[in-house]
Amino acid sequence: MSDDQSFDLVGCLARVRGRDQVAACQLVEHLYPMVIRIVRAHLPRRVPEEDLAQDIFLKMFTRLDQYQGAVPFSHWVSRIALTTCIDQLRAQKRRPEFRWADLSENETRVLDSATSDDSAVSPDDALAASELVHRLLDQLKPDDQMVIRMLDLEQKSIAEISSLTGWNQSVVKVRAFRARRKLQKLFAELREREGS
Amino acid sequence: MKNTPQAWERLAAAARGVPDEREAHAPFGFSTRVAALAMAERPIGSLIERFALRAMILACGLAIAAVAANYSSIRSLFVQEQTQAPDDPVAEMADLAS
Repeated sequence: MSDDQSFDLVGCLARVRGRDQVAACQLVEHLYPMVIRIVRAHLPRRVPEEDLAQDIFLKMFTRLDQYQGAVPFSHWVSRIALTTCIDQLRAQKRRPEFRWADLSENETRVLDSATSDDSAVSPDDALAASELVHRLLDQLKPDDQMVIRMLDLEQKSIAEISSLTGWNQSVVKVRAFRARRKLQKLFAELREREGS
Repeated sequence: MKNTPQAWERLAAAARGVPDEREAHAPFGFSTRVAALAMAERPIGSLIERFALRAMILACGLAIAAVAANYSSIRSLFVQEQTQAPDDPVAEMADLAS
């Protein structure tokens, strides 16, 4: 969301409710940076980010009458963004298989280094590590993916995740546990392939 | 090979360090397009209300027109009933009793 403190959100919302197109346009401009950040963090592969952002905004306008002001508006919109992303992830029934042969030279080296020595991944390899992380996350169930992304990449707390997703804190913990176990299994499989 | 949490944490830490340098502002025309689409859409509730009201007005109009068009037939039916009333066996029995 833009840092523009002068943006009159309440007034803008009132005008949007009165079907003012200019106000709707201003609201989209104001919220776009926040929405696109969420979309980029949770974007399923092969889905254009602009299409997903458009879906989120259209849902926001359709449900605007349901917004009662109990939570900040940005919080309400980010929940719509998250649920739209998770719906998209769920819609992608087939998850791409994680194959050693599909990894680039850099990714193979980074994976080797991360699993074989104690040193941190070099900053030069950060991009390859990021790609690798996303490939690994693609192997998880959509809900588990979302929890691990928020926990380990965005470094959000369990309480924050619970508040953003609407899931109970115990559910978030269970999903995190299940996701880590699956990652453990993936690493074990990689170890086997590496050994053979 | 190190245990999984350490390997995963190292990879995740490296991934966190990748700056996102992509443009965070809406692309040209995006907000105008989305706002136009949103304002063109009418909420389902109001659509139902609008069509339900129109359907009710149309149904009332048709009912009135049907009655008006068949007024003579309806009226003759009532007249017929009144003239046939004396043939009614129950009415006749009532007349005999009196």
